[in-house]
Amino acid sequence: MELAANITLAALVQQVLVGLSRTTILFIVASGLSLVLGVLRIPNVAHGSLYMLGAFLTYTVATLFGQSTLGFWLALIVAPLVVALLSFIAERGLFCHLYEREHMMLLLFTFAFSLVIGDLVKLVWGSDYRSLVAPVFLQGSFSISGFPFPRYNLFLLVIGPLVAAGLWFLTNKTKIGKIARAAAVDREMVGAIGINVSWVFAAVFVIGCYLAGLGGALVAPTQNITQGMDHAIIIEAFLIVIIGGLGNIWGALLGALIFGLTDSIGILLWPQFAIVFPYVAVVTVLLIRPQGLLKSTW
Amino acid sequence: MKKRFVFNACISIMVIACFFVVAPASHAAKTLKIGIVDCYTGPASTYTNDVRDAFNLEAEKINAAGGILGRNIEVLTRDSKFKVDIGLSAAKELIYRENVDVLMGTINSALALAISDMCKKEKVPFFATFSKSAKITGEKGHRYVFSITENTALAGKAAAVGLAQKPYKKYWIAGDDYEYGHAIADGVWDNLQKLKPDVELLGQSWWKVGEPDFTPYITAILSAKPDAVIVATGGRDCVPFLKAAKATGFNERVPFFMHTATELSTLKPLGLEAPEGVIGTSNYFFYYPETPENKEFVENFEKAYQRKPAVGAVYGLLAARYIFGAYEKTGAIETEKFIDNVEGMTVDSPIGKVTMRAFDHQAMLPMFMGVTKKVDGYDFLIATDIVTIAGEDVMPSIEEIKKARNQ
Repeated sequence: MELAANITLAALVQQVLVGLSRTTILFIVASGLSLVLGVLRIPNVAHGSLYMLGAFLTYTVATLFGQSTLGFWLALIVAPLVVALLSFIAERGLFCHLYEREHMMLLLFTFAFSLVIGDLVKLVWGSDYRSLVAPVFLQGSFSISGFPFPRYNLFLLVIGPLVAAGLWFLTNKTKIGKIARAAAVDREMVGAIGINVSWVFAAVFVIGCYLAGLGGALVAPTQNITQGMDHAIIIEAFLIVIIGGLGNIWGALLGALIFGLTDSIGILLWPQFAIVFPYVAVVTVLLIRPQGLLKSTW
Repeated sequence: MKKRFVFNACISIMVIACFFVVAPASHAAKTLKIGIVDCYTGPASTYTNDVRDAFNLEAEKINAAGGILGRNIEVLTRDSKFKVDIGLSAAKELIYRENVDVLMGTINSALALAISDMCKKEKVPFFATFSKSAKITGEKGHRYVFSITENTALAGKAAAVGLAQKPYKKYWIAGDDYEYGHAIADGVWDNLQKLKPDVELLGQSWWKVGEPDFTPYITAILSAKPDAVIVATGGRDCVPFLKAAKATGFNERVPFFMHTATELSTLKPLGLEAPEGVIGTSNYFFYYPETPENKEFVENFEKAYQRKPAVGAVYGLLAARYIFGAYEKTGAIETEKFIDNVEGMTVDSPIGKVTMRAFDHQAMLPMFMGVTKKVDGYDFLIATDIVTIAGEDVMPSIEEIKKARNQ
């Protein structure tokens, strides 16, 4: 049991910032999962697979342009859209026939969907590791009182609030967002006043999956793009959604903050056993508030 | 309705039964059967495909020349999906149903140990091709198991020999929190302490396998200011770790050793964006040693599979050379004599002559320690300043093996 000695304030600030950039990815992925869970009541196990697909597509699109700066930005736009399109086809072709069935059926179906995507990725991209280069001005790092802070992480810190603001605008200021929130509370009533609930569901599902793809696209330059990256993220995303309150995207933000920050600060304080910190936080939250931090409907 | 169902069921069972009866009959011609159980799904397959492909290449060559002892070589591969239960039932199927003469595999150490155990009972020779557990030929070694790959003990000792020559004193250890990570870290550290008693361990970080972002770990290590870092991570985590090292300038601030850092599977995907100056060890590079044997091997492999061979290809080739060479020498398909012949056998390979130590059945592979660098003519980093550490120098002594086995 050895605690890292001499933790300076600068190191702590640095660690919090790194933790916040990790939070960005977790929030983007978990908010999509939460949105789908809240409105459609689908625990989408395939969410992690869509994230993986987003990362692979980003790699492919960027590589088409020789991994140039332009290619990267284009990939960041195109890859999540392709994921969204795919999920639209899946929703209209498959999922929409299952909403009236039991919950177990949907769960199994999304699980099957995740296996299909996993094998599809293996078929198309093979088993080699793949790596994507960030645009030149986002490479390397700058120094915060002697500690390196990667530029790409700063970029993530900018993107995170932008996505959060976009989601706030979508759910509070647009018609579809308001209908979606209403459908989360009482879907029969929404149907009864003449709104086509089925298409609302389709839109929400596509937006949720788009967020998974976006998370994958954003993480691509920092990671090893390989099979198996879906499993790690889906477990973390579900934990975040559960502690945040099922279906509440602000709960997902709160959950991601707790998860990301306990992780990075734990690494600084007690690097040997850092793995347990976020999970201890999850257990603590669930002991105090088993229903999650925020209400399921909002 | 019910009658119809029973009738259908009977028909289906009969059809299935026919397959079982007919299938073995079609293989009436005698072949030498080699079974390979390995993980061909998920991130590990980038290593295992090379083992299988190089082995097949050698088998095809022998088949084209008329086979071995008048028999054609038949290679049967099974995917373990990195799971012990699936792999073990595949191994069972190969042993009991296919009656394979020799079994090979696998990258998953837990599975390799389980198969080794089964082969001991069934008296089937088993060649461990990519498992890095030192237990295979150490503590759990027996007459029917051979290892043709380096393991955590050998890699640890090789790294310690290399690092002891450097001026570093204050170390930090960081790695994957599972058996491989801890075993390799212990291997390096125990040997380093023996070779250089004044080294000091400042602290350790352990992360989960598949850790998505290493930046927080790296910044935390930097704040402790070690002289050098031993990074005990393997497989797919190498790539994101090196990325984070590059982004934070970790490699420029603190020198670090990472066993598989110079591996082709790690460096190729990173392209020219990999960090320079990282110290790594490997059994093989397609560009080193620069001998005609290695050049010919690379050429043949590339012609067959349109890619450069990575370290796994050498393991595949060695397996083929030991197995087919020993059968040739035995002159019959006779397991006990075959094993006697593999013991102490020396074969040619792209990395020179490699001898199978008779006592513990561990191939004495040389280890190459190099430093990553950009070199003209390659669109990825390669290992340079390569130091060869001879197989004999990194092998545990026979006394140590005896002690581990309680003999």
